[in-house]
Amino acid sequence: MSTTTPGHGPVNTTTVGGAANGDVATSEVDGHRTSVPMPVGRFDDPHQQPLTRHPRRTEAFIAVFMLIGIAGVAAFGGAYWQNATPWILGVTFGIGLFGLGFGLTAWGKYLMPRGPFVEERHTLASEPDEREAMAAALVDRTGIVVKRRRLLGGLLAGGLGIFGIVALFPLLRSLGPLPGNTLNETDWRKGTRLVDINGRRVHKDSMMPGGLLTVYPEGFQNTDSGQAVDQTVLIRVQETDLTTEKGRETWAPTGYVAYSKMCTHLGCPVGLYERELELLVCPCHQSMFNVRNGAVPQFGPAPRPLPQLPLYIDSQGYIRSQDGYNQAVGPGFWERTNQGNGPGTTET
Amino acid sequence: MIRGLFGNRYVRSVAVLATVGLSGLLGLTAGAGAQTTTTTAPSMSSLNGAGATSSTGATTGSATGSTATGSSGTSTTTTTTGTTTATPTLTTAGSTATATTATSPTAAATSTISASGGLGSRFGLSTVLACKRDIEAISFPGGANAGSPKGSNFHLCVGGQLRAYGNGHSAASSAILYHLPPPSVIPTGKKLFEQTCSSCHGREAEGSNAAPPLKGVGPATVDFWVTTGRMPAATPLQEQADRKPARYDKQQAQAIAAFINSLDPAAPYIPKVNMQGANVATGADLFALNCAACHTITGAGDELAYGTFAPSLHVATARQIAEAIRTGPGNMPWFTGNLNDDQVRNIVAYVTQYIQHPDNPGGAGLGGIGPVTEGFVALLFGVGGFMLICFWIGDRA
Amino acid sequence: MSTTDTTRPRTRREAREAHGRYGRVQQAVNELDDRLGVAKGGRTFLDKIFPDHWSFMLGEIALYSFVILLATGVFLTLYYVPSQTVVVYHGAYRPLDGIHMTQAYQSTVNLSFSVRSGLLMRQMHHWSADIFIASIVVHMARIFFTGAFRKPRELNWTIGITLLILAILNGFIGYSLPDDLVSGTGIRIAYSILLSIPFVGSYLAFWLFGGNYPGDIIIERFYIIHVLIIPLVILGLLGAHLGLLVRQKHTQFPGKGRTEKNVVGTPMFPTFMAKTTGFMLMVAGGIGLLGGLAQINPIWQFGPYTDASKISYAVQPDWYMGFLDGALRIMPSWEWTGWGHTLPWEVFFPAVIFPGLLFNLCFAWPFLESKFTKDTGLHNLLDRPRDRPKRTAAGAAVFALVFTLFAASSTDVLANFFHVSLNVTLWFFRIAVFVAPVIVGFATWRICLEMQGGGHGMGKRKRALVVSRTESGEYTAVASEQRPGDGHHELDAEPVPRTVELEPVAVGGPRTGTTLDADAGVRRVNR
Repeated sequence: MSTTTPGHGPVNTTTVGGAANGDVATSEVDGHRTSVPMPVGRFDDPHQQPLTRHPRRTEAFIAVFMLIGIAGVAAFGGAYWQNATPWILGVTFGIGLFGLGFGLTAWGKYLMPRGPFVEERHTLASEPDEREAMAAALVDRTGIVVKRRRLLGGLLAGGLGIFGIVALFPLLRSLGPLPGNTLNETDWRKGTRLVDINGRRVHKDSMMPGGLLTVYPEGFQNTDSGQAVDQTVLIRVQETDLTTEKGRETWAPTGYVAYSKMCTHLGCPVGLYERELELLVCPCHQSMFNVRNGAVPQFGPAPRPLPQLPLYIDSQGYIRSQDGYNQAVGPGFWERTNQGNGPGTTET
Repeated sequence: MIRGLFGNRYVRSVAVLATVGLSGLLGLTAGAGAQTTTTTAPSMSSLNGAGATSSTGATTGSATGSTATGSSGTSTTTTTTGTTTATPTLTTAGSTATATTATSPTAAATSTISASGGLGSRFGLSTVLACKRDIEAISFPGGANAGSPKGSNFHLCVGGQLRAYGNGHSAASSAILYHLPPPSVIPTGKKLFEQTCSSCHGREAEGSNAAPPLKGVGPATVDFWVTTGRMPAATPLQEQADRKPARYDKQQAQAIAAFINSLDPAAPYIPKVNMQGANVATGADLFALNCAACHTITGAGDELAYGTFAPSLHVATARQIAEAIRTGPGNMPWFTGNLNDDQVRNIVAYVTQYIQHPDNPGGAGLGGIGPVTEGFVALLFGVGGFMLICFWIGDRA
Repeated sequence: MSTTDTTRPRTRREAREAHGRYGRVQQAVNELDDRLGVAKGGRTFLDKIFPDHWSFMLGEIALYSFVILLATGVFLTLYYVPSQTVVVYHGAYRPLDGIHMTQAYQSTVNLSFSVRSGLLMRQMHHWSADIFIASIVVHMARIFFTGAFRKPRELNWTIGITLLILAILNGFIGYSLPDDLVSGTGIRIAYSILLSIPFVGSYLAFWLFGGNYPGDIIIERFYIIHVLIIPLVILGLLGAHLGLLVRQKHTQFPGKGRTEKNVVGTPMFPTFMAKTTGFMLMVAGGIGLLGGLAQINPIWQFGPYTDASKISYAVQPDWYMGFLDGALRIMPSWEWTGWGHTLPWEVFFPAVIFPGLLFNLCFAWPFLESKFTKDTGLHNLLDRPRDRPKRTAAGAAVFALVFTLFAASSTDVLANFFHVSLNVTLWFFRIAVFVAPVIVGFATWRICLEMQGGGHGMGKRKRALVVSRTESGEYTAVASEQRPGDGHHELDAEPVPRTVELEPVAVGGPRTGTTLDADAGVRRVNR
């Protein structure tokens, strides 16, 4: 009842019931039929036997799970009505759906006809002459148009091309402003007072060596730019520990040293200070900056030292900035140079 | 029989209905028993500073008399000598002694020390002057309420020695009361120090190449390291000492602290945190800004550079947290003038309430470190579990 | 058999008489077919065959977790407010009382504490997102290692990789919506990654965020991208993905009765439908259990992100972004500056170039492979991974690379867990990222060869030597007798037969009323 013809694969070999009236079908391939129809109610066909040898027992087993499922789902309803805690809601919901699902799947796997049945694959590819006709349609008809109306074709192509480019403009440019010089600027100026998050000015006697405070320019401590861009970490170290860089001799009075809190790697706030190691560690990717010698990175992916804010102590003992940062703070970008609003400049 | 039962459609229907009804009832009762409640803080009475905190100092020794007459009401001081345990009760002006907790097995005597604001007592000018010198000598800068005596409003002097200070106008109104153990415990502390600590720290606490000098570190520092069990160190040359079960109890630790302080008096004193009036929301905000960068936002702790680490905050007591903030142990920054006592108290309240007893209404907390454990669960139990189900449903090749 | 009978049948018998044996159902089919012509196509659909191998169900995990994402997501959209307007919180969670926060954060906290089943829905949504992407990866692995991406399915493979990328992107945007401290840090990093792109980086960053960081618009934009734009594209591509699957039919492993020109398995209706619907319910139930029992993303413990100078330690992105975070951590700090410009390679390479290369390799693989193997034929039968050692080894090596990077994103947590220095851990990963793929690739290749049982006596049981000693003290070694299982015949790999005849199956006659044994569990059909 089954034949194998080389190169074409076997014809269908399942001899199951045929048409809708339950007659036995022959196993020949019917050219119009795309698959073997399933019989109706023929449980004596081995292909129709359920996977399990004890259908009744299995059915009872599945019924138990379905009941558990029903119980769970109903319990979920009750629990929801009572405003139950999430875990009860989740457990009832989960057990309920899982029980029902398990029952249904087990029913399908163990009790339903499982085959194996065969379906023919029809060749996806069309006949060669169809394919040629398609190509011909594309080429010849396009050729007619283009050959005769080359000017129009060119104009159309050009127009669509330009539109494609121009269409990007509202999608991109309307979204926001041009960067301009914004990335190079902060709100730190000459004489800006350092304040903490509550607006309290920082006095030179307020911290002992080993202390750490996040500071902002006065007036900006509650603004987005103040917190995101101007954020500065003020550390007091033993004055003798500091190695002053050339040109920065006056930047760290009485051991107070201030660096931009924005990591030069990806902009995370570098709030992790190790007092004895005198190391600022960025919590995101563990870049480590040496506080003693200008926050030079000595480990991790950060490429540049944290920009240093020059400080001085005013006549009343409060700490102020001598000027803004001498370079752009934060991570690198294409237009970034090492020069920025440096000492002596208040505008850009 | 089961076949017969299941075969009968009426039995089937009844069974299903009964199950639905019963489980609905079950869900109702289960839900009623475990309703979502709004978040309430742990009972405040157990954290009330007035006389019943975990950081209640049990001091041994005598309390030489000093009576301060407050602006209202009377107060009495019981002078006792010898080894008695006295729990200093902090009362507000005008009230009499309240109950104290007995904190040691020896006989407990109640002594009330109540004082009003202002320097020292009105006992004698020489006492006041001596106390003032004390304050000057051991103060460090920091501005108001920085854990330093100079910036504090309240001072308690006993026998010319500064014995306690705080930022309030009285002991009870101070967010944190810094206190010194009485001098009578110093010999005990000296003995303990010589037994255990001097082998590394030197007989005069002068330090050695295995341990730093301890002169001038202040009582709070010593109390922190000893009560958290980090000292005595298991491995003296370790990069950072681990917390472990404390070898010495509270009184012994304070005795050692008193002894070290006697070599070179310093501040801060041992803090006692008054939780009344704490604002946990402010504490949470301050914690996020100052503490989370090392200790993580859930206080789980994590590894830092070169073998150092920020420890988990889940087992620290209120006193230990305040001590750590005010003394900056190890690689921890030293928070002085940048956080006043109210702010420190709020942070301590937040940590002891919400960091140590986090709200996990969503189920198992999974360690509180976020996507690492969550991803592990999703991959192993989620997709792994579902793949096992696929394995059951489908064929094997 | 349509009828022009205008009287509506009232009883089942009347219906049967009017429309034939199948009564009312036949009537319904007829009505539909009159209008849509679905009878023939519908039956083809119902007869559709699905191969049974368990690994073919992995894509269903992804599909059903996506369904749960949609369902729970709709619930969430009804409560979440995508706004960065700052408000003061006065709600159920005390440590936030009086705190300033964005409406996005506030609405998420309210959803978690004050909306019935809100927290369950939020957690189910997040868990199913993690599971969705994980199951896509597992499914992709199955497709790759069995060669199901070959002609004619290259387009489906391309769609699948695109779906993976979109899913990862949508997941990242989704967990950034609550605007909490931890996800806010991720947004900062995303901004800096955009900045690092040469020439256009700062423009792209300013346009997406509406200005310098943080801006006040990104949460709203993320919201629309997350609930509308990307889900629409995913749904469309998913439809195409499944449509191609229906059109080209499923692949199958070689085996008894299976050829390049057929599909062997279970039919769609009722068996497969039951199994797959049941599986969907089980996936939903499993995610419900996770959503109830395991807490995920407890944003109330993290606090709002209103202050960009706050940060937490031990912050990792969700697992599917881990390979990017790990790459960022281990990359050395090579930044190029010169001529007035900066090219931050330490960001640009791990976060932009590397994933670009990786995904482009994935996209190009079917074409690369067909070029290298010079195989342009149609393939509907799958490979066993061991039969393609080079492909399997290459895939394993790439997996090892990505997994090492994924593990590298938790350097600090691992260092803490194992009490190892953080610096040592990082260097370990810097080396492992090169060494692990090589070792894994080579080992996989050898294992595949071994499992094939090919050449050099690999995988064959050796014949034991019997050593005996003569009386004069001489030792001799003789091969022992053949035991069952020894020898070549048993263990030689046989080519898998491509066409096999199935034995014909006898069937009981129609209506002969074979007496069927009740104990065997078959019941008689009454007609």
